[in-house]
Amino acid sequence: MTAKVIVLSGYGLNCEEETLFAFKHSGLDGDIVHINDLIENPKMLDNYQVLAIPGGFSYGDDTGSGNAFAQKMKLALWDDLKKFVERDTLTIGICNGCQILVNLGLVPALNEYGQRDVAVTYNVSARYQCRWIDVKIENDTPWLSGIETLHIPVAHGEGRFMMENDTLKALKDNGQIAARYIKADGSYADEEFPHNPNGSVHDIAAMTDKTGKVLAIMPHPERGMFAWQRDDYHELKDKAQRDGITLSDDSDGIQIFQNAAKYFQIAIKKSA
Amino acid sequence: MPTRIEILAHKDDGRANKIEKILESMGVSSSVRAVDVYSSESAAAKEKTFADSLANPVTQKINQTPDDFDWALEIGYLPGVTDNIGHTTSELLALSSNDNDDQACYSSRLYLIKADTNRDEIDRLARRISNKLIQRISVKTNEEYKRDGGMDVVIPKVMLDNKGAAADKVDLNISDEELEVIGTKGIANQDGSRRGPLGLSLLYMKAIQEYFKKEGREATDIEIETLAQTWSEHCKHTIFASPIDEVTDGLYKHYIKRATKEIRAERGDTDICVSVFSDNAGGIIFDDEYLITDKVETHNSPSALDPFGGAITGIVGVNRDCVGFGQGAKPVVNRYGFCLADPRSRPNYFRDKDCTDSLLPPSNIMNGVVAGVEAGGNCSGIPTPAGFVYFDERFAGKPLVFVGTIGLIPREINGKPGHEKKANAGDKIVMAGGRVGADGIHGATFSSVALDEGSPATAVQIGDPITQKKMSDAIVKEVRDKGWYSGITDNGAGGLSSSVGEMAEQSGGFHLELEKVPLKYPGLSPWEIWISESQERMTLAVPPENTDKLIEFFAKRGVEASVVGTYTDSGRAEITWHDEKIMDIEMDFLHDGNPETPLKTTFTRGGDPEPDIPEPKSYDQTLIDMMGRLNICSKEFIATQYDHNVQGSAVLGPIQGKGRVYAEASVSRPVLGSPKGVVLSQGLFPRYSDIDTAAMAAAGLDMAVRNAVAAGVDFNQLALLDNFCWCSSDEPERLGQLKRAVEIIYDMAVKYGTPFISGKDSMFNDFKGYDENGNAIKVSAPPTLLVSSIGVIPHVNRSISIAPKATGDLVYLLGATKDELGASEYYDHLGHLGNNVPETDTHQNLRLYKLYARASRDRLIASAMAVGYGGLGTTLAKKAIAGQFGLDIDLSKIDLRADKALFSETTGRIVVTIAPKNKKAFERNFKGFEDCHYIGSIAHSDNLFIRDILKTDIADLEKAYKATLKDY
Repeated sequence: MTAKVIVLSGYGLNCEEETLFAFKHSGLDGDIVHINDLIENPKMLDNYQVLAIPGGFSYGDDTGSGNAFAQKMKLALWDDLKKFVERDTLTIGICNGCQILVNLGLVPALNEYGQRDVAVTYNVSARYQCRWIDVKIENDTPWLSGIETLHIPVAHGEGRFMMENDTLKALKDNGQIAARYIKADGSYADEEFPHNPNGSVHDIAAMTDKTGKVLAIMPHPERGMFAWQRDDYHELKDKAQRDGITLSDDSDGIQIFQNAAKYFQIAIKKSA
Repeated sequence: MPTRIEILAHKDDGRANKIEKILESMGVSSSVRAVDVYSSESAAAKEKTFADSLANPVTQKINQTPDDFDWALEIGYLPGVTDNIGHTTSELLALSSNDNDDQACYSSRLYLIKADTNRDEIDRLARRISNKLIQRISVKTNEEYKRDGGMDVVIPKVMLDNKGAAADKVDLNISDEELEVIGTKGIANQDGSRRGPLGLSLLYMKAIQEYFKKEGREATDIEIETLAQTWSEHCKHTIFASPIDEVTDGLYKHYIKRATKEIRAERGDTDICVSVFSDNAGGIIFDDEYLITDKVETHNSPSALDPFGGAITGIVGVNRDCVGFGQGAKPVVNRYGFCLADPRSRPNYFRDKDCTDSLLPPSNIMNGVVAGVEAGGNCSGIPTPAGFVYFDERFAGKPLVFVGTIGLIPREINGKPGHEKKANAGDKIVMAGGRVGADGIHGATFSSVALDEGSPATAVQIGDPITQKKMSDAIVKEVRDKGWYSGITDNGAGGLSSSVGEMAEQSGGFHLELEKVPLKYPGLSPWEIWISESQERMTLAVPPENTDKLIEFFAKRGVEASVVGTYTDSGRAEITWHDEKIMDIEMDFLHDGNPETPLKTTFTRGGDPEPDIPEPKSYDQTLIDMMGRLNICSKEFIATQYDHNVQGSAVLGPIQGKGRVYAEASVSRPVLGSPKGVVLSQGLFPRYSDIDTAAMAAAGLDMAVRNAVAAGVDFNQLALLDNFCWCSSDEPERLGQLKRAVEIIYDMAVKYGTPFISGKDSMFNDFKGYDENGNAIKVSAPPTLLVSSIGVIPHVNRSISIAPKATGDLVYLLGATKDELGASEYYDHLGHLGNNVPETDTHQNLRLYKLYARASRDRLIASAMAVGYGGLGTTLAKKAIAGQFGLDIDLSKIDLRADKALFSETTGRIVVTIAPKNKKAFERNFKGFEDCHYIGSIAHSDNLFIRDILKTDIADLEKAYKATLKDY
């Protein structure tokens, strides 16, 4: 099997290269496509099985992070997008991509695609936070299957999920909460900074649509896919040297991209 | 009737909470709501769908602003100031509307404040969170708000009434006195007012007078403005270029450039330099496929006036230097560095004698510059892992704001070397990116003079990172590799006048049709368009057959580009304005017509006698106090708000170890598929200048090298950048200090074999104004040399962090510790300057670095940290905090009184830890080097124990280290 990923770029999205690298490293093929080129030729979506909206600062976060880019997509591409997610495809939005998916109403889409049910807004600290966190995976959907926890970084100024109580209850009931921030001991962060870096309700770091095939995730798996990217790399490297073993190149984040490969039955390339 | 849309945020909005916190710090308890406001004259803005597109219904409410508050405070922009949110909103409006109205939208923010307070306090709050140079403030009581039916609708549209603007003639057949007035205050307008400083000395003005006499005609305003830009200290670096004492070829050529030339010749085949001093950045070899480039800029004067705008403009500006390197390099890492006054201090400095126009307080400057680099770097998707903050009260007049960008460029592009380019005669001049407004007019000439009352507000610009990101991505990720342009450079200081002027040197002339330059708003005079420093613009040289497809492609990426003229080989710099010739001067005169100004210097060593200080009563307390000092304490609050791992390239970041210590070196892996890394660091010791600028410069260069060496850089692949930030450079004594600094770094660079690849200077970091009694004062920044280092590490798994790794590991001090506390943090802590400033022993240090490089290559070192501010004591404390391990240390072999042993700042020292099993190999590696000292081990304890001196809990050290700036 093969599957192709389309990674969007333009207007301030900025993580397209490392995101495509992550997919390719996991065995998928793919392209970076500028949003204007996609708008000019929406039919090209038919050639892809995975859609990735990477991190970045689309439109400088003006009018709320992800909002302006989502408005642009909604006006120009809505029918095509809807058709894409209703096919047997996978969609992921990372950080700014997560904010865009939420503003498009593709996640969590409690009743239908297109309705905004939740908001991702300013961190409680009102400050950008770039730091490593731990999340516990909460559902067994295609993107997250077999993963228990992830040690990966966040980097955002607006990562706080907010919603009505009813919405939260529905998300819980439907199993749509995908990842929650935890402390080092494995217990939930309980909205405590810096474990929960943004004050997100119920420590939510990621959620899916009802099918589980559309994932909106605030932390950056592509920045924590290799051991050398980790904040504790030098500790791990030193320990491996003392123990006389070789430190594996792969780290937690790569599993998400490998899961996309698995979903399309692609043999995963393993690093040394 | 204009439309005003108010979007109310939810009750617990982080931005509103921040205002509550500020009010709390002023002793006012409050409850605040935040409202985003959008205003527009467009009919389409009245549509409900448009308002809906601006709000998320889950957390925001449209036009349902509650009126149960005491005070309403609104902050918006003044006309002509870059309004990025307004810009995005305009684009959204254009997307959703079909007509071609004026779709301009303007943003502002409204705070609704419930608090029992008075107007004075609200005004104070407004001053804390805004800047009157660029923003408008409006305050209403609840009563006023209700009476007026809400806040006023404000459309800050630029209105310029000088219709039919043309170039004015300027009569230069005037007395020397009158010439001097033009040089210092600017060309006179018809109403007698002046257009702002040109920074042209009488000598220069006379050369211009002479030239136009020879041409046999009057000069135009645009010609004089162009010469002022091109000859400015900022662009021409006249002080570094002029003959100085016996050095007839000037400091730059004789020392800086020569150092690089000699190193390159000596290295022969192993030369790492590819492009030095000739382009927007310097470039060295990364691997067989890529070069890495580096450039560090300063943006001091604008940051003094508008810290946020100055800093964001600085960082996105230096990003463009990277994009403008060779055929276009991709920005892969940002650097930052701030020299500031204590944010807790509030010096009373005024621009005017009547004490009505005060300088911004240091805390505003710090918050502003930190936020400016945050917005610029984060929005551009460039990691910012490398930086520093240095504090001294003399930076209250003018802060130093350093910004740098590392780039990555293929060594070969379209079959040509990637670093080569040339504008050819016949190529079209294409301007791409943002439009031109009145922003930043006289930026270049003004940064070349001291700040005073006459400093122009138009010198302030605010960068728009997203407009630039679109352009930058289009260039380095797409257009570059199509081979459509033959030359490219950025528009920085001096705007088009500099970029076109410089590129035209390659072809031998230009003809610019100024009316073709797209404007933000009508009404600008030709000279303003020509020298405007409006941001986000690149200038390209494009063969005529490629212009259409280039412009069309840019349009597809949301980037505006226009043909604005032609490069020629006429030998003349020509400008027309609606077919009328308004500038026509010889290229040679433009670039080389400025008369030489020989400089003379004097030098007197500074410093006081060495103080006789009593030994501290408690070393524990002294060390704790030292850890909290501004130059030693943690700056984590900056590191965590700067995205340092975007692009997925971060290996060793700004915060290291479990105990999170703010580090001075970083390692990145800019090519994901290659294991090679880029090591970055820097060094500066401004206070040492109070005793001897040679010691200051030497310590800075040594620190930049040593930090990189400690982190594991390949010593043979290490290059340097120099940034001189001097003061009062018209005084022989200051020039003498400069010459001394330049002499010594020439010597050191050649000995270390570390070439300079790029540099910049800023020579007048002085503030001339008044104290609170109206007495004239001058506050001069201490002469500062920042040396930045950039090097390559063959595999990132060879990089070394500062944090100790395991108990039982052995601790070594590499390098000698001498009685060198002059101008140290310790003496300053005690209120002394002293005299024994650290003298750098280049020969001994070089021996150490080479031996160390071998040990790090052999992976013998578990952790390493260069000894810097606060000496060995603070270094050991930081290592203990970083690793969260106790240390058991014995310094009895250092033959100095304990406080001197702990706090001497002798250069050339590194503290390392190694695994016990590597002891033999490690000691053998350093055999014959007399200063490899075993000083103890990593203990299974929670304290830093230094025998016979102190035993301090790590928790106490950590608390002091992290407390000082924790509320910023």
